[in-house]
Amino acid sequence: MLDNLRGAVRRTAFVLLGLLAVLFLYLSYIQAVEGDYLAGHSLNRRTAAAAAKVERGAIYDRRGEKLAYSEQDASGRYVRHYPYGAMAAHVVGYTSPRYGQSGIESAFNGELSGMTNPERRFGPITSLWRAKAGNSVTLTLDGDLQATAYKALGRRRGAVVAIAPRSGAVLAMVSRPAFEPETLDDDWQAIVGAADSPLLNRAAQGLYPPGSTLKVMVAEAALAEKITDKRKTYTCEGTLKIGPDYVLGESSGRAHGKVDLEEALAVSCNVTFGRLALELGRSRMAKTFDRYGFTRPLGGEIAETASRLPDFSRLGDGDLAQTGIGQSSLLVTPLRMAMLAAAFANGGIILKPYLAAGVTAPDGTALKKFGSSEFVAAASAATAAEVNGMMQTVVREGTGYAARIGGVKVAGKTGTAENPHGEPHAWFIGFAPADEPVIAVAVIVENGGGGGDVAAPIARQVMARALR
Amino acid sequence: MDTRRECALLLLAGAVLLAGVLSVELAGGTVDYQALGVAAGLTLAWLLAAFTLRRAGHGGDGLLLPLAAVLTALGLIMVLRLKPELYFVQALWAAIGLAAFLAAAFLFRRAERWSEYKYFWGLAGIVLLLATALFGVDIGGNRNWLILGPVHFQPSEFAKLLIVLFLAAYLSERREVLTFATRSFGPFVLPQPRVMAPLLAVWGLAMLMLVAQRDLGAALLYFGTATIMIYLASGRAGYLWWGTGMFAVGAALAYALYPHVRVRIDIWLDPWTDPSGKAYQIVQSLFALGSGGVLGSGLGYGFPRLIPEVHTDFIFAAIGEELGLAGAGAVMMLYILMVYRAFRVALLAPTPFRALLAGGLAVLLALQVLVIVGGVTKFLPLTGVTLPLVSYGGSSVVATFILLGMVLAMSERRPADA
Repeated sequence: MLDNLRGAVRRTAFVLLGLLAVLFLYLSYIQAVEGDYLAGHSLNRRTAAAAAKVERGAIYDRRGEKLAYSEQDASGRYVRHYPYGAMAAHVVGYTSPRYGQSGIESAFNGELSGMTNPERRFGPITSLWRAKAGNSVTLTLDGDLQATAYKALGRRRGAVVAIAPRSGAVLAMVSRPAFEPETLDDDWQAIVGAADSPLLNRAAQGLYPPGSTLKVMVAEAALAEKITDKRKTYTCEGTLKIGPDYVLGESSGRAHGKVDLEEALAVSCNVTFGRLALELGRSRMAKTFDRYGFTRPLGGEIAETASRLPDFSRLGDGDLAQTGIGQSSLLVTPLRMAMLAAAFANGGIILKPYLAAGVTAPDGTALKKFGSSEFVAAASAATAAEVNGMMQTVVREGTGYAARIGGVKVAGKTGTAENPHGEPHAWFIGFAPADEPVIAVAVIVENGGGGGDVAAPIARQVMARALR
Repeated sequence: MDTRRECALLLLAGAVLLAGVLSVELAGGTVDYQALGVAAGLTLAWLLAAFTLRRAGHGGDGLLLPLAAVLTALGLIMVLRLKPELYFVQALWAAIGLAAFLAAAFLFRRAERWSEYKYFWGLAGIVLLLATALFGVDIGGNRNWLILGPVHFQPSEFAKLLIVLFLAAYLSERREVLTFATRSFGPFVLPQPRVMAPLLAVWGLAMLMLVAQRDLGAALLYFGTATIMIYLASGRAGYLWWGTGMFAVGAALAYALYPHVRVRIDIWLDPWTDPSGKAYQIVQSLFALGSGGVLGSGLGYGFPRLIPEVHTDFIFAAIGEELGLAGAGAVMMLYILMVYRAFRVALLAPTPFRALLAGGLAVLLALQVLVIVGGVTKFLPLTGVTLPLVSYGGSSVVATFILLGMVLAMSERRPADA
């Protein structure tokens, strides 16, 4: 009788202990296998809660002005403040428990959050290197210049990029329309729903046809490849017939007559530059874009969109000539055009643009310093100097007169880029002072009209502010 | 196992408790010597209890008290971490539980004496449950509290033990009837009505708990334990099918009639349809377990307070978050060992009554762990029962200690029994 009972007890014990063992295996699956998914789930507030316990590091401009900082509210939670608000929103970025991060807030999230090694697998040991406050990041940005550029752009859609050509330091990077990073969580629906994409950093991610601003590069290529020299003249009859049925015209419709390279650049002669592009040919045009780094990704803390270059090997003559005046299917970012201007300001060398100057620990110790590095050697010093001189003529006597600053030599080039979205985009790229450059700029106003009328005055304000 | 080894294990449990309390306090930034003193005092009490047992010639299983001590220690550490203001109360309950454990360990040495009053125990159990159903007070969503003057307690925790005691005595006397007396209608085997009576009675009780107190977990526990005990006594798997069938009917009725039961089942099937609303608790529990990973965040470095009711029903999820799979798995292993030792007592028992009583208590313990750990890990639908010895709550701690004391008493092999 008792044996019967023992048999039943044994079977019950096997089943129940077996069930507990299965539960143990299931628990292991949840914690070890599903763990990463559950820990990173968007509804899991632990990451945000951990971040709210740590004072997120501040972001400073080059003068030590606060661009972003965290402060405890009455309940002891850290709240992020952005003194420059929408003015520096795209560069500084945002940080939101719901919508993640962008800009420097994203690129330096590890440093700022104080969780440079959020390695869950080490378990409790990680608390040894968990900081009470995040490191702060100092930018190369100039808050004053940023504000000037933002206000100069006004309510128009567009972007301004200013870099120091001799170091590559980004001094200003403005994109409009912008957003308020402090109230991002509340405004999110309106921001993502807006037709003019306020979240897009047009300065580094907006793709535009460069229009006539690209002519400075074509001029340099023509000189470097010995296709032309400063004495050779071209005759502009107002149109350039290419093949049986393609005609490249001047935007004004007027003929420029007999012009040399310098005069052609000053009046932005489409016929001459279309002809130069044809003479350079497909492979040398492609090589020129390579030389100026258009095919090479930037990397680093600036999130940029790669330029769209035409496939030169399959380009027809008409499109080749169009590319020579910055049209056809060519699309570039304002940042890349600022870098192009900087090439002629710095003897042909383009330095890698950078935004972060250094990282500082909460106790003030400098942890990291970032400096200049060469991006590409685009042109020889001699040809760069020649183009520099021609660009000064553009501002002194040509289409760029609106960028003139009293007592300072300014070099530049305007652009009025045709596009399928309506009015042409207004462009200006340039630098000042031309013989000892401290600032190189690129300005674009989307569908703004003529570059000389609309973009050049904005560039003038930004350069004048930087030189003061 | 000799006394020396039992004491060494108890000292280990004490070390776990002291180290845990110290790390919670260091993580919080302040060291409270009183809390450490209480931990040291409790360790001494465990050693003293072991000495008392052995000095009195008690030959019970030397593994049970150390297992209970480690679980109590983990529970106290987590209560200090999650609700520091309840730490001293919980420590007091642990001490009272230890006293009850000792008392049960001695009183149940002659377990047969208790079986003589089986109807009284059965009646007392039913009265306790009915009293809760009638005068119960709602605390934390479950209407299973009785308030007697200054004392709040949950009678269902104690009634469980009384019902198991009653069933063990009742069933061990009627084993032959259970095993052989059946009426056959063609292929259907029907047991005698008087055999079915206790099963029907417990089923009725379980349904009452479900309806009157919304205590899904307790209902499941009572009914599951009773069904398995009838199977143990009869050795006939048919009773298990009867029990499963009756439970299925009850569950289906509850699903159809009660929205709160329907919600529980629906969020178990798919918590991600309403993760911020109805399924909030279980989803938060899964986040806690997942965030803990293998080694956990460390005591004081997780965010277990994001889970509602974390110090009672969801304390296992907090262990999983801060101590990781290492800690939660250790807790599972401790329960598996404990259940195994209890079943071992049942297997070695000299009389059917003792085998049924020890077996019933082992089943009760195993089911309770399965139901709550399964619930917080979404292995089973979530029902509110406590994690034995670990969850905050005096009634549960004391009742579990009494259960272990009973098992300890019956684990003693004495010549008198042979």
